[in-house]
Amino acid sequence: MAGDAEIDFVGLSHELEAQELDAPGGVASPQLYGQLLALYLLHNDTISSKFLWKRIPNNIKQGNPELSLIWVVGQHMWKRDYPSIYESLRKDWSDSVKPIMNALNESMRRRAMNLVRKAYASINVDDFAVFMGMPVAEAKQAAIVEGWSLDPQSKFLTPKKIELVSTVTLPNEQHLSVLTDYVSFLEN
Amino acid sequence: MAANLEQFVSNVQTMSSSASFTNMVEYVSKSMDALAKNHAHIDTALATLSYSEHSIGVLALLVVKLSGAHIQDFETLYVQVQEFVSSCSEEQIKFAPETFAELCHKFTLQLVDRKQAQRGITILCQAIRKVQTHLALLTSIHPCLCQLCLLAKNFKPALSFLDVDITEISRESGHYDAKDFLLYFYYGGMIYTALKNYNRALYFFEMAVTTPSMAVSHITLESYKKFILVALIVQGKIPTLPKYAPQVVPRYIKPLCQAYHDLATAYGSNNPADVRSVITKHNDTFVRDNNMGLVKQCETALYKKNIQRLTKTFLTLSLADMANRVQLTGSREAEKYVLHMIEDGEIYATINQKDGMVRFHDNPEKYNSAAMLLELDKEMQKCIRMDEKIKEMDREIAVNPQYVQKVSGIHDEDMPASTSKGQGF
Repeated sequence: MAGDAEIDFVGLSHELEAQELDAPGGVASPQLYGQLLALYLLHNDTISSKFLWKRIPNNIKQGNPELSLIWVVGQHMWKRDYPSIYESLRKDWSDSVKPIMNALNESMRRRAMNLVRKAYASINVDDFAVFMGMPVAEAKQAAIVEGWSLDPQSKFLTPKKIELVSTVTLPNEQHLSVLTDYVSFLEN
Repeated sequence: MAANLEQFVSNVQTMSSSASFTNMVEYVSKSMDALAKNHAHIDTALATLSYSEHSIGVLALLVVKLSGAHIQDFETLYVQVQEFVSSCSEEQIKFAPETFAELCHKFTLQLVDRKQAQRGITILCQAIRKVQTHLALLTSIHPCLCQLCLLAKNFKPALSFLDVDITEISRESGHYDAKDFLLYFYYGGMIYTALKNYNRALYFFEMAVTTPSMAVSHITLESYKKFILVALIVQGKIPTLPKYAPQVVPRYIKPLCQAYHDLATAYGSNNPADVRSVITKHNDTFVRDNNMGLVKQCETALYKKNIQRLTKTFLTLSLADMANRVQLTGSREAEKYVLHMIEDGEIYATINQKDGMVRFHDNPEKYNSAAMLLELDKEMQKCIRMDEKIKEMDREIAVNPQYVQKVSGIHDEDMPASTSKGQGF
């Protein structure tokens, strides 16, 4: 779907949280639960998603099997079991959660890539493919696009680290007055 | 409508229009018993009063309704409370904060009994905002909200209150109870623990444990148990309690928590096998106290702590060697632990799969960035605000007639003033 990126997911989740609290009788619609559950996963907030799952009434869980499918993804995320996460994401989601689940798939990959970049000095290309939930050839391609080098013999990837660019702000006069305040506070 | 109820309604109407709220509060509290006898006609009386104009009168009627032994039509009452809380006059309820708090307490109780905690959250949030004169004021409605949030397993609404540090307690005309204070910190600690914000949870449990007291409270006792467990997760040991902690803690509470102290001792040895055997030994106690989940978290935290200790000794270490030293099953599991810890920012390291080694790094923070300066700035502002607050409170005490009398009285008997200061509160 085009325009997925433009959806304000953070705003949407705040809105849904408020709606859930105001739901008549304290029970919201299955659609709301599904979307909120998926959104928490997208924000990598597995704790909130766990408690949301716990407070969804049982009859709604039974009547809407898709909720359990979303939560299965959450359980794998809780355990950080990458292959199972991608596997459980590969479902035919209903329209209300589809954009969120697609975005989740994307963000999982981005997160996995950043983690590997940060945590590994060298990694087996097969392991990397597991992190990315891709076939090995595709994962290789993705790594090379990022400028990582691959040793064709040993099949080890060397991730390219990102140098932190520090933004240096020059002290101005306002800053000076704040510092004056501090010094006068400390001396009194 | 019964005659004295009619009288009540007309009195409330006259007093509201002349804005003599202090008199009205007095009158209303005297009429409570009479109102309770006319239980059946309260709805009629409620219909003739306006929620926003006659708030104090309506408040009394609702409290009487909620105090009834059997509430027949709870749905109607729910809507009445909801409407009252959202439309009542803030000015009027500030004259009767204790009755307003009572309304919230009883309403909470009803929702808890009916297992409908979720439905009260928004209403109580609104109620607290109505009575608060400033955000850092603690009311006895706070613990009710926390309780509902815990039961509903929905914590976010409580966080906007818990995240604010308290500087003042609402007196509620002398009705504010120590129990409300302890419960607030106990429930708050539980909420932060559930959300894995262990540092803040530790602070909340510490507040509950160190509250001055002469007698043992069950809330303090349970807080102390959780305090130990959270402290093990955060610091790996039981911190020494500050001097102002009440004497009852070492004298009566500690002996009741033997299992927890055993766990802490085993934890101090850094040996997972010891910890596991203590957990098995006291399994029943931990399960009975509903603390098993937290105990399990302590166990995982020990592995992490042991890995963190390795970073102090080694620059590089093979995964197999690490697994051996921290008693994990193999290099694969060690790799998983290290990876999770890197992701959570708990250690700085890189794994090299080619030679199966882990290289530990120093914290990359150089404390020279603009973001760090901003952080420092925020902390400084906080300290300055706190200093101002303490000076203000000190001034208030210094001019308090009771305090002045006590201090000068003791001076006459030639006693050192310093001892009286500690008890002056």
